[in-house]
Amino acid sequence: MICVATVRSPTARGSVRSIRFPKLPAGYRSILPADIPGRNAIVSFGAEVPILAQDKVSYAGEPVALVAGPDPVLLEELVASTKVACDEEEPQLAWESFSSDQVVAKRIAVVGDPELAFSIAASVHEDVYTSGAIEHYYSEPQGAASAYDYDKIAVWCATQWPYHVRDSVALALGCRAEEVSVRPTRLGIHLDGKLWYPSLLACQAAIASIVCGRPAKILLTREEDFRFTPKRARSSVNVRAGLGKGGELSAMDVRIAINVGAYGPLAEEILSQAVLACTGAYACPNLRIEGYAVATNTPPMGAFGGLGSSHAFFAMEAHVNRMASAMGEDPADWKSRNVLRKGSRLLTGEPLKEEVPYEAILARLVASSDYRRKYAGYELVRKRRSGRADGPLRGIGLAFAYQGAGAFLSGDSSNSYTVEATLDKELSLRIFTSAAGGAGGVRDVWRGIAAEILGIEPDKVTIATPDTDQVPDSGPSTLSRNVSIVAHLVERACLAIQKRRFRDPLPLTARSVHRVPRPIRWEGGQVSGSPFDTAAWAGTVVELELEPWTLEPHPLGVWICVDGGRVVAPGRAAASLRSGAADALGACLIERVDPTASPLAYFRYALLPLEDLPPIHVDFIEPSRRAPVKGIGELPFDTLPAAFISALSQAADSAFASLPVTPARLIGALGVR
Amino acid sequence: MTVSFILNGEDVSAKARSADRLSDFLREAFALLGPRSDCRCGHCGRCLVFLDGRLVPACLVPAFAVRGKEVVTIEGFSQTADYSDIAEGFKSAGVESCGFCAAPRIMAASALLERHPRPMPREILEYMSCAPCRCTDPEAIVRGVVAASELRARRLYRRAGQ
Repeated sequence: MICVATVRSPTARGSVRSIRFPKLPAGYRSILPADIPGRNAIVSFGAEVPILAQDKVSYAGEPVALVAGPDPVLLEELVASTKVACDEEEPQLAWESFSSDQVVAKRIAVVGDPELAFSIAASVHEDVYTSGAIEHYYSEPQGAASAYDYDKIAVWCATQWPYHVRDSVALALGCRAEEVSVRPTRLGIHLDGKLWYPSLLACQAAIASIVCGRPAKILLTREEDFRFTPKRARSSVNVRAGLGKGGELSAMDVRIAINVGAYGPLAEEILSQAVLACTGAYACPNLRIEGYAVATNTPPMGAFGGLGSSHAFFAMEAHVNRMASAMGEDPADWKSRNVLRKGSRLLTGEPLKEEVPYEAILARLVASSDYRRKYAGYELVRKRRSGRADGPLRGIGLAFAYQGAGAFLSGDSSNSYTVEATLDKELSLRIFTSAAGGAGGVRDVWRGIAAEILGIEPDKVTIATPDTDQVPDSGPSTLSRNVSIVAHLVERACLAIQKRRFRDPLPLTARSVHRVPRPIRWEGGQVSGSPFDTAAWAGTVVELELEPWTLEPHPLGVWICVDGGRVVAPGRAAASLRSGAADALGACLIERVDPTASPLAYFRYALLPLEDLPPIHVDFIEPSRRAPVKGIGELPFDTLPAAFISALSQAADSAFASLPVTPARLIGALGVR
Repeated sequence: MTVSFILNGEDVSAKARSADRLSDFLREAFALLGPRSDCRCGHCGRCLVFLDGRLVPACLVPAFAVRGKEVVTIEGFSQTADYSDIAEGFKSAGVESCGFCAAPRIMAASALLERHPRPMPREILEYMSCAPCRCTDPEAIVRGVVAASELRARRLYRRAGQ
C-alpha cells in the first residue's frame, strides 16, 4: 500500500501560479488536478468543493496537489520541500458584517406585520448573541483508503454517509456508482464532523490508487485535522423582541449570520435549520427573520451535534431569560405563558400537531434542581450585592428547546431511504442498513425494537456490515436520524415480516422505505412546508458559581429532563445525554477555535477535564408504550448553552451574550468592581 | 539501530530509526495496533502503554529509549486478570465506549487501582482524563471503576487465602 500526503495552499485567497515539487525518488509521484479522471469536485447540498484546488484557492491549507509513495516519513519531507507559488489576494475574514458577494445562502421569512407590532409594543429588548467555532475532537483523525477489488474500486473510511462517499468517488473517477464499493470503518463519536469531509478524502485516496495502480491510503495527522477540516460554524444572532403589556411575545426581528467558511458545503441546510428554530419553542404572531450564510477564507465550517438549530436556540433562550429577568419575572413563568401549544402556528404557517410538554418538564426540573427557590434567592443576592466579595456569586439558568424528527429542510439530495430485514429459518433477524456504522447505542435500539415485534431474543438480531454493495441507502447518520427515521424503518420492516410470518415459509425479507417529505419552500419572504411532524422536547437547568477572585465559573449541577417519546434503552439514552451535556459544557467553558490563529493553537485545545464536570442529572418523561421513538442527541447542545449563559449572567450580574466566555470577558465585566 | 526489550512478556528486538516514536515502532515493527499514533504530542492518550510498570504515552517516548525495558500494550494487558476485572466492571456498569478510548481507559483504570485500590470518584475522573474523549459518560465511568475495584479486591482476597 502506498501513502498519500497533501500539498496545501500557503495562502488563504488567491490563484495558484505554480507548484514546484522536489526531485521525487523512484516509486513516488505527484498528483495534480489534471490527473483526476472525472470531475474535480464533490457536491454537498448543492455546493461544490474542489478535490484539489486548481486555479483559485479559498483557504489556507486547501489541498492543491497530492504526493504518493511508500514511506510516510519521506512523504512528509517531500511535501515540506514542495513550493506552491500563489498570487495572493486580500482574504475575506469578516463575517458579522459582510459584503453581498460573501453570501452563499439567504433565507427571509416574514409573518404578520412586525413593524406595526413593534410600534405598539410595551417594551422592546434587543441584543446580539454570538457563538464560536468548536473542534469536533472525534476519536480518530480523518482518513481513507482505496484499492481495486476485481472489477470495483473499494473505499474504506469512517463516514456518517456511505452513499455520499460512493457517489462522490464515482463522480471523481468518472465511473458508475455501482463500480464503487464503500466499506465504512469504525466511526466513534463524530458530532457531525464526518458528514461530508470523508467523501473528499475518499476521492483523493481513490484517485491516488487509480493513478498509481496500487492500494492507497490518506490519513491526516491530528494537527492537519485540527487546522484544515470543518469545525462548528460561528454565528451571530441579533434578536429584537417586542413584548405586549402583559409580557406576551408580540413581535420579533431576528438577523442571523453564520460563518460557513470556504465553499459552504452545508450552508443551505444549516441556515434553514437555524432560521426555522429562531422563535425557539414560543409562539410569536409577528416576525421578520433574515438569515445569511457567509463565506469566508477559512476552512469550510459546518455542523456540530446538529445542523444549525443550536445557534438559534442559544440566542432565543438566552434572550427570553434576559427579558423575563429585566421585567422582574422568573423566566420559567414567562415561558409558561408564551410556549407553543397544540395548534399554535409555526413559522411556516402549519399548526403544531402535538402538545408541548413544557409544564411536565418544568415540574420535574423544579423538583430535582430546586430551580424556583434558587432562582429567587440568587436574584435577591444579585440585587443586594455591593461587590464581588459580598456573598456567593451564584446563578441558575433554565432553557427549553425541541429537536425535530430528522428531516432535511433545504431539500434532500436523495429521494428515499431504505432498510431491509431478513428473518431466517433459525429465527435470527438480520438488518441491512447503511446507517449501521454509528454508535453502538442505536444498534441496541434497533435490536430492541425488532426483538419486541418478532418475539425473539435481542441477541438473535444482527446488523449487517454497512458495505454499500450489501446494504441499501439509509441516508446520512445525522440529526439523530438513526433513531427518528431508521428505527421507524426497522420497525416497519419487522412488522411486515411479522404479518407474513406464519403464512409464508421462512426466510422472509421485507424492505421499508422512507419517502423524503416535501422540503421547506422559501419564496419572497413566505415559508411553506412542515418543519417537523413530531419532536422531542427538553429543558435544562444549569447552576454555577464564580470563584470570587479568579472569576472562574464552576458549574455546580446540570439537570436535564427530556420528553423523547418511547425510550427503548433508557440507560444508553441517559448516558448519551450526559456525554452530550459534558461536551456542551466544555464548549461553554474552555473550547474555542480561532480558524485564523497560529498553528500552535492546536496544542492548546482541550476538552473539559472529567473531574471538572458537575453532577449531571437526566430524567425522562414516561410516555405511553405506543409513543414513537424520537431523536434526542442534539438536545443538550440546544438547551445547555443558553441555560449556562443565563446562570453566568445572574452570578456575575452582567449580561453575557457570547460563547465561549473567556476569562478576559469575565474580568472585563467583573474585575474592576 | 537494533532495539531489544521485553514486549508483552516476550524478549524481542527490531530495527528502529533514531526518530521513531515508540507508538509508530510498535505498530510498524510488531503489528500491534492497540496503541494508536494519533495526536503525537501526548494529548489524546490513545497510545498509552506500560513502560516498566508506568503508564506513559508511547508517542512521546523515542523507540530507542525502551532498550532493556519492559513494554506492555493493551494486547499484552488483555491477557491479565487485572484486565478481566476492569472489563467486567466496565461492562456491569454499562460503560459505553466509542472503541477508540476503551483501551487507554482500561489501562488508566489499572494504573489507578494499582495506586489506590479504593479510589474516590474525583481520583477516578482525574485518571480517566488522560484519554479525553467525547463519548464519555462520567457517571458510568465512575461506576465502572468502582465495580472493577471491587472485583479486583475480591480476586486478590481469594488469592491471598489460597
